[in-house]
Amino acid sequence: MDRLAATLEAVASTSSRLKKIDHLAGYFRSLDDRDLARALMFLTGSKDTLSIGYSTLRDAAELASGWDRDLIRLCHREVGDSGETISLLLRGRTLNLSTSLEDAELLYRKLGSAKRGADKAKLLGEAWMRMTPLAIKYFVKSITGNFRVGLQAKLVEEALAASTGVNLADLRAALNRSGDILAVAQAARAGSLAQVEAQLFHPLEFMLAKPHDEAQGLPDAAEYFVEDKYDGIRSQAHWDAGKVRIFTRGMEDSTQSFPDLAEAFLRMPGRAVLDGEVLAWRDGRALNFTVLQQRLARKKLSAEILAEVPLAFIAYDVLYANGRLLLDEAIETRRSILESLLASVAPPLMLSPSARLSSSEEIDARFAAARARGNEGLLLKRAGSVYEAGKRSAQWLKVKRAYATLDVVVTAAEQGTGRRATMLSDYTFAVRDGERYLNVGKAYSGLTDEEIRALTRHFRSIATGRFGRVTVVQPEVVLEVAFDGIQKSPRHKSGFALRFPRILHWRKDKRPEEADTLERVQEIYASTLAQ
Amino acid sequence: MRVNYGPEGIHVEPIDLWLDPQVSKPAAWLSHAHSDHARFYSANALATPVTLQIYRLRWPENPEFPQTLYPMEYRQPVDFHGARLTAYPAGHILGAAQLLIEHGGERLLYTGDLKLNAPLLGDATEVVETDHLIIESTFGLPIYHFLSREEARMRISDFARECLADGAVPVFTGYPLGRGQEIVHCLAEAGIPVAVHGAIAKYIPAYERHGYQFGDWEDYKANVVRGKAIVTIPGLKRNLEARGVDMRAAYVSGWAAVDNARLRANAEMLIPYSDHAGFDELLALVTRSQARRVDVVHGYAEAFAKILRDRGIHAQAPRQAALRVSEEEAA
Repeated sequence: MDRLAATLEAVASTSSRLKKIDHLAGYFRSLDDRDLARALMFLTGSKDTLSIGYSTLRDAAELASGWDRDLIRLCHREVGDSGETISLLLRGRTLNLSTSLEDAELLYRKLGSAKRGADKAKLLGEAWMRMTPLAIKYFVKSITGNFRVGLQAKLVEEALAASTGVNLADLRAALNRSGDILAVAQAARAGSLAQVEAQLFHPLEFMLAKPHDEAQGLPDAAEYFVEDKYDGIRSQAHWDAGKVRIFTRGMEDSTQSFPDLAEAFLRMPGRAVLDGEVLAWRDGRALNFTVLQQRLARKKLSAEILAEVPLAFIAYDVLYANGRLLLDEAIETRRSILESLLASVAPPLMLSPSARLSSSEEIDARFAAARARGNEGLLLKRAGSVYEAGKRSAQWLKVKRAYATLDVVVTAAEQGTGRRATMLSDYTFAVRDGERYLNVGKAYSGLTDEEIRALTRHFRSIATGRFGRVTVVQPEVVLEVAFDGIQKSPRHKSGFALRFPRILHWRKDKRPEEADTLERVQEIYASTLAQ
Repeated sequence: MRVNYGPEGIHVEPIDLWLDPQVSKPAAWLSHAHSDHARFYSANALATPVTLQIYRLRWPENPEFPQTLYPMEYRQPVDFHGARLTAYPAGHILGAAQLLIEHGGERLLYTGDLKLNAPLLGDATEVVETDHLIIESTFGLPIYHFLSREEARMRISDFARECLADGAVPVFTGYPLGRGQEIVHCLAEAGIPVAVHGAIAKYIPAYERHGYQFGDWEDYKANVVRGKAIVTIPGLKRNLEARGVDMRAAYVSGWAAVDNARLRANAEMLIPYSDHAGFDELLALVTRSQARRVDVVHGYAEAFAKILRDRGIHAQAPRQAALRVSEEEAA
């Protein structure tokens, strides 16, 4: 663990990607197979989560450091990361014994089997008192899942390839097939990546679509298949006699949330992996996304809610069928396999209709028809294309048309996390209702770091109160936001929430009195219902 | 001794002396030459000779505000309004001093900005016993731990050498007085060619008069940067970036003790070395001063005062509307 921590500290202290990979690859090379497996577990996160929250960490830090919780909270606020805060608080107060990866794994297992938070805090506090501060920092980052996941995972893959001399693309493909980084690492060392077999019941990476730039037009429109773009939850269903898993984006196993769908897949013969969308579905059409969300928010799914919000899985691709991985097959082949698999299914399982586009002039009419069916827009998929797992590919184009934008006023700003830990980067915003400002949403993307820094300074100067990480500000800053829809929401006083709000501009030219009104929000909401 | 705290500064009432006042006063003690401490034209200004020299560079004589300067050598007491005043080294920057005021059988010590561990340049702090202590707490949280000067020296020169070996330009940013000269001195001693921004170079002669040698540093010119380490002020780094120079930045500061400084300072290498005391140094200073009463005046004053109270020390953080922005924070 000490060498892993030192390696990660060196990785953090250079901005050169090559050097980062060098550090990590050199470290991997020095490990035997068992330690490599342990290091990878800490780097990529284990499947069994420890559910250790801030309060457990704080209790453990209190125990190990002797500082009171107010001071720990203040320090945490300055630092922004639990692992680093605890490491700094314990500097010079531990025995500085070395921690092997085996010791760290043992501690990890003990934490996993401890039932109560208090037991976990005691285990952690006592272990920290023996460790070096650097090992503590990275052990905590690891068990709280606080490595910046996407970036870290890619770096680990590249370093693994570099340390074993295998081709990165081959390693990634093997990883996507099997989902098991330990097995892939061993195979890379043994030179047997090609033999890594596809495994069911781990999520394959989704292929993603690029937005279609309508201004550019689509000169080769006849080269595309067209389908509706559904406003649901992108999902991947795996089944094999008697077993079903449904994964959603973010690679989460969401089978528990969809018992009705799981049951339907249980009756399917053979084994396969389908790519599709989970929708709330009644009377032959998709219901508003809000309805689906309400069902997902339930902890317990009663018979009433199952009957009230029935779901459907609408399939549009097949990635694996009866022993064969189909990612590299052409879309036409995959489609015909999909159609034969689903030849005789009935709701809640469905096949997404697909047609060949004849010209770009068709797009408008098809878009309007998709919206009329309650769907979000269109997806265009290029003839002859393969399934590019994990990629946002130009072979798939999504046609979405934003609703009108709204000018909103920021009412509160929240401290970000990670890279943006010291800035106010998440904004709650409102529309006008007479003299009042009523919140309609929260957004954290769309602005540059430079703009966020400037806004942070500005918000601090107009702050009226502070609740933990949230700074309440005078309603003064106007942002222009785009969004993909409006839904009813009890969370906001306005009664509405924007879906996927994105900040387009900081409208320095506008005063808060010029922001959009609640009435305007109601209008847009009514117009979406009419469709 | 009655001491009043207000937005204009700290007033030692019985002898009518202001400590680092923010506006002109009849009589002022200037603890060191940073402009948030030594500023404007108090009619009578007391400070160490070095502090007064640098103060004059920043606040040249002005006939509209006649002024008498009283140089005070370290450890040489002077009489002032019936009190005995003695300056002691504070280790913060060249010339920085603590002030011991003895009056009516009571001792009051004002630290100004200080550092306990030996500084890269300037005199090491002398721990002074007192009854009543006024201490700063810029880094008064137990997360702030700094490198020793030997470690800092090594990290600074290692980083510069590594960048140069890779064909990149190492850039160090620091505020103009104190940190800047320390970095230039480190690099010069290590035999690394240095280009220095004018705002920092301006104060090098003051250090040279004090016996420090800076080798053959040259003036920073934007178009001649290859093969040299650059010591500059923060804004300039962006210029270099914009010119497409392959540069790598190090941030030498107390704030570099925390990883999020990487983003704030936009630097890949963090070198946590400060001209202020880290948390453990502050605690040691308070304990060794044997003060019975402690006023904490800057930074995490409330939190640090509470930590002292929890240790049985009579400590408070007097309310003082914030007029000052420390130079380091501004950087």
